[in-house]
Amino acid sequence: MQATATVESFLNIYALNEQAVTIEFGSVINEDVFQKVSAFNNLVNKRPFPGFYTTVPAYTTLTVFFDALLVIQSNLSGADCFEKVSGYLAGLKGKQNITNTLSETITIPVCYGSDFGPDLDEVANHTKLTVQEVINLHSAAVYKVYMIGFVPGFAYMGGMDEKLTTPRKSTPRGVVPAGSVGIAGQQTGIYPLQTPGGWQIIGRTPLKMFDANQSRPALLKAGDLVVFKQITQQQFDHLSNNSDADTNY
Amino acid sequence: MQDMGRRGYISQAVPVSGAMDALSARMANIALGNDGNAAVIEFTYANAEFIAETGILIAYAGDGAILSLAIGDIPADRPVFIPAGTTVKLNNDLSGSRTYLAVAGGWDVPEVLGSKSTYLTASIGGLQGRQLRAGDELNSIDQFTTSTTKTILDNLQSDSPNYTDWSLGRQLLLPADRKTIRVMRGNEFDWFDSNSQSDFFTTPYTLSLRSNRMGYQLDGCGMKRIKWDELLSTAVTPGTIQVTGGGSPVLLMADCQTTGGYPRIAQVAAVDLSLCGQLKPGDTIYFKEISRHDAEMLYLEREKQLAKLANAVRNRYL
Repeated sequence: MQATATVESFLNIYALNEQAVTIEFGSVINEDVFQKVSAFNNLVNKRPFPGFYTTVPAYTTLTVFFDALLVIQSNLSGADCFEKVSGYLAGLKGKQNITNTLSETITIPVCYGSDFGPDLDEVANHTKLTVQEVINLHSAAVYKVYMIGFVPGFAYMGGMDEKLTTPRKSTPRGVVPAGSVGIAGQQTGIYPLQTPGGWQIIGRTPLKMFDANQSRPALLKAGDLVVFKQITQQQFDHLSNNSDADTNY
Repeated sequence: MQDMGRRGYISQAVPVSGAMDALSARMANIALGNDGNAAVIEFTYANAEFIAETGILIAYAGDGAILSLAIGDIPADRPVFIPAGTTVKLNNDLSGSRTYLAVAGGWDVPEVLGSKSTYLTASIGGLQGRQLRAGDELNSIDQFTTSTTKTILDNLQSDSPNYTDWSLGRQLLLPADRKTIRVMRGNEFDWFDSNSQSDFFTTPYTLSLRSNRMGYQLDGCGMKRIKWDELLSTAVTPGTIQVTGGGSPVLLMADCQTTGGYPRIAQVAAVDLSLCGQLKPGDTIYFKEISRHDAEMLYLEREKQLAKLANAVRNRYL
């Protein structure tokens, strides 16, 4: 998918701290706002200013991080770093069509149920669906990654069938294994690392969602499309062994 | 093991990490003529001791411990030569919680995603992605980044512990009152009622036991919301003060997540974030409002002072 959005306006731009500003492009999650965030993210990265070092895209905002010492020494106009950077960013508004990085469609194999998905029955009960219907609905949809946050490599995704909506667990688990696939409210997500968590866990993927040995450690990025594919325990074991071999443990 | 943090991967939700009291960490490095980003050991409190297997040039800074030898305490904020076979012990310093130990050339641990900082949740950085423990052997990088380091070592090397007669005087950079933290208003400041806004700046907050490198839970006057919009997750950063559903403020620290969905009442001024790095559960603090512009000017001024100090050390050993 390619975006040709131009950014006509910001709702607001504010200082997050001395070395970051956040631009708001909207107040609700939707495709139009997402495209504006992505397009502007690409534009800033393509046309950086002195001192710029990275961006963090989110649902409706783009946060731009910079080194204040380099910004203050630059010849951007403004009385301080915030004025210099926000002035520069405002000047980028309405620049000609920006081509987004191609978003990829990534297939995530998931072994649903049993020890890997201890809450699958609970989700089925809550949604008044059969276990197989939960699996079918979950693996039939195409999900879109809106942002990466929370813990390294965790993707906030939209697109889950509303029929699967299930509240978080009343008591969070102390340990949720890496690769666990869960549902919380209207969202679905994959735990990239072993952490505590309160999502309803319905399955597990053998893929490494976060691998610090890779130059791009997070498997998913904002804009990617995700589909889940049901696999058997045997396929899970096979894929896990292969991914271990790949990293030379 | 920490350096100045991992700044290049926040878009993939990798926390910045780095020294909780960056000022002390940098002071320890500056005293040795090291690169300001060299890896240092972050001690939280003081239950530690180590043996110098070879003669080493070290410097320490911070408020969590005082380093001592059999013959007496080692002064902070300056280079110290420790001869081979010497045991160095950390004794509690009740004024703060964290102490940074730098070594000439920096501690030799691999860089992961552009930083040597340990981040325990993902088991990356530092020594095998974990906390240091008894029995670990650490090496320094022999290749000094500056000739200053080499000259300091040549001057101090001896058969007995030896240190310079000068120190960097970290105290001079710190405010007299280290429990008043300067903050600027957060983007959602107006989401709270005026009583809460005024309470925030006038009443004390105490660090709860639920405080760690990710953040501090603050006990004190709760914040009452008047705006109940859902805040869609957006970037947060160390120093961000969020207000959770129950109304308690949470001060995010070095290992905090990169995005959050709670309204942000304030942001700690970068110059005072190091003061926060020295806090411990039970400590009581106040917040004082300053403008965004003033916070930025204080930050730039602090950087100038640190550059001046680094220069002064260099010039002394030309």
